[in-house]
Amino acid sequence: MSLLRLEHIGRTYDMGHVQVQALHDVSMSVERGEMVAILGPSGSGKTTMMSIIGCLDRPTHGRYELDGTDVGSLNDGALARIRSRTIGFVFQSYNLLPGTSAVDNVATPLLYQGVPRRERVKRATIELERLGLGHRLRHEPTELSGGEQQRVALARALVTQPALLLADEPTGNLAVHQGLEVLKLFQDLHAAGHTIVLITHNPEVGAVAQRQVHLLDGVVVDAELAA
Amino acid sequence: MSAVELVRLALSRLRRGRVRAALTMLGVIIGVASVVGLVSVGRGTTARITQQLSSLGTNLLTVSPTGGGGSTSTLTLEDATAIAALPGLAAVAPEIQTQAVVATSTSNTTTTSVVGTSADYLTVRAYEVWQGAFLSPVAVGQGLRQVVLGATVATNLGLGAEAIGSQVTIGGLPFQVIGILQPKGGAGFANPDDEVLVPLGVVRKYFVGGDGIRTVGVSVADGYDMQTARDSIAQLLRVRHGIGATATDDFQIFDQTQLLAAASTISGTLTLLLGGIASIALIVGGIGIMNIMLVSVRERTREIGIRKALGARGRDILSQFLIEALTLSLIGGLIGVLVGLVVSAIIGRIAGWGFIFDPNTIAVATVFSLAVGIVFGVWPARQAARLDPVIALRYE
Repeated sequence: MSLLRLEHIGRTYDMGHVQVQALHDVSMSVERGEMVAILGPSGSGKTTMMSIIGCLDRPTHGRYELDGTDVGSLNDGALARIRSRTIGFVFQSYNLLPGTSAVDNVATPLLYQGVPRRERVKRATIELERLGLGHRLRHEPTELSGGEQQRVALARALVTQPALLLADEPTGNLAVHQGLEVLKLFQDLHAAGHTIVLITHNPEVGAVAQRQVHLLDGVVVDAELAA
Repeated sequence: MSAVELVRLALSRLRRGRVRAALTMLGVIIGVASVVGLVSVGRGTTARITQQLSSLGTNLLTVSPTGGGGSTSTLTLEDATAIAALPGLAAVAPEIQTQAVVATSTSNTTTTSVVGTSADYLTVRAYEVWQGAFLSPVAVGQGLRQVVLGATVATNLGLGAEAIGSQVTIGGLPFQVIGILQPKGGAGFANPDDEVLVPLGVVRKYFVGGDGIRTVGVSVADGYDMQTARDSIAQLLRVRHGIGATATDDFQIFDQTQLLAAASTISGTLTLLLGGIASIALIVGGIGIMNIMLVSVRERTREIGIRKALGARGRDILSQFLIEALTLSLIGGLIGVLVGLVVSAIIGRIAGWGFIFDPNTIAVATVFSLAVGIVFGVWPARQAARLDPVIALRYE
C-alpha cells in the first residue's frame, strides 16, 4: 500500500476578488521506502504541494490519503497530530528556533509528543551525534554554519522517526559542497529505508531521487514537457 | 504539554529577553506594590482610629437633647439625677459646656472648652489624673471655684506639676487649679485634652444660664448590657418628658461602640478606595503585558509556524503564550508584594502604627496579578494559536 496517495487534488486560494488556483488536478502516490522528487519552477505549485503533503493545509478538491488516513476530513488538532507523528520537515531556510540550542531544537518535536524531558534530550543527542554534530549540542543556530544548521534541521526531522521525510529545497541556501553533503545524507537515509519527498526547482538536486514528478502551473506533466 | 514544560519554556524565553521582561513586569510590580502599600496604610489608619476611639471608653453612653444643648435644652439636671438612680450604671456625669479664655497669673492665655460636670466625669470619660486630684463630690456639691486642666491646656499655659494650688482666671473669674489630666492623644476630629473641668454649678452660675444641660455621660457598670442600659434610660426619659408612645424622642442616646463601628466602616471604605485606586495601576500594568505579548506574537510568527509544523496544536501555542504572560505577571506580582511590604513597613514605622502584615492582602494581590496575566494574555495567545501555519512559515 502506498504511504501517500493524492487523487485529483486541487487547491484554490480565495484572494477576495480573484480566485487563484495553485493546484489543478494532481494525482500521484509515493510508496513506502521510495525517494521521490517533486520538480518545478517557481509558481508551479510546489509550495502548495508541500503544504498539502505536509498536512499544513487541506486541499479544496480531491482526496489525500496519508498512511491510510483521509487527511481532508481531519480537524486542525488531528492534522497537528499527524505532523507530529508521521512527518518530518526539512525547510530551505532551516527554520530552527532562534535562541534555542541545537539539542533543544531537535528535542522540540518530541515535546509535542509528550515525551519527558530527560528522554527528549537523550534522543536528540543521539540523533545529532549520528549526523556528526555531537560537538555542537549546546550551540545556538547563529553559532552554526549553514551546513550544520541544515543537519540540525535534519536531525529534528528524524528524531520522531517519521514515516515520511518531507524536504523543501533542502540545499537552496547552501554552498555547493555543503549542498552535496546534505544530498548525500538524504541518499543514505533513503538507503536506510526512509521514505523521502524532495521538493525542488533544481533538476540536479531532483536527480538524486529514484523518481521525479514534474509540476507545471499546478498540474503534473511529463518530464519532456517540463524540460 | 505539562504545566512544568510550559513554565520552563516561558522562563527560558524570558531569560532571553531580560530587559524587556523586566520592563514589562515593572508595570505589574508598581501596581501590586501600590495595592499592598496603600491597603496597609488604610489598615494602619483603621487600627489607630479604633484604638483611639476605644480609649474614649467603650462602655460609654452619651445622652443628649435632639434640639442641641444650651439653655433651651430639654435635658435637665433632674433628668441626670433620675438616670443616676437607675440600676446597672457605674457613673453618671452631666455636662454643660461653654468657651472661655483661661489665663495664668503670668498672663499666658488660651481659649478652650469649659466643661461643668460632676466628680463622675473622670470615670465616665475614662480620663486619668496626672497631677493633683479631680473635682471631689464636695467641691461639685458646693460649687467651689476649682478647676482641673486638660493636658493640652496645661501645656498651652505653660503649667506643670508646680501649678497645683495656683490660680488661673476663667472668663475673668479666679479659679484654683487642683489637678492636671493625663493626655489621651488626639482622636482626629476633636482633641479630648483641650478642655478644663469645673463644677457644674459654677458654669451654671457664671457662664450658661437656664436649666438645660448639654449631655449626660453614662458609664455602664461591668457585666451589665449596654442595650439594656440604653433602653431603661430611654424609657425613663420618655416618661419624664411625657412623650407619648408614637411621638419621637426629644433626646438621643449615643453608644460609643456605634461610633467605633461607624469609624471602622468609614476607614474600611477608605481602605477599599485606596486599594481601588491602586488597582488602576495594576490594570495599566496588565495592558503593558498585553502590548508586549502582541508584539511578541508578531515577532515570533515564524517561530509559531515552525512549532506548528513540528506538531504543536493550537492549544499548545495558546498555553505557551498564556503561560508566558502569566509568568510575567506572577513574577511581577511577587516582586510587587515584596516591594509593597517593604514600603508599608517603612510607612508604618514613620506613622507609628508599626508593620501590619496581612496575608489576605498578599493573597488578593497575587490572585489579582494572575488574573491580570490571564485577562491580558488570552487575546495575544489566541492570536498566536490561530495563525495559519502555511502563512506563519512564510512570514519574514
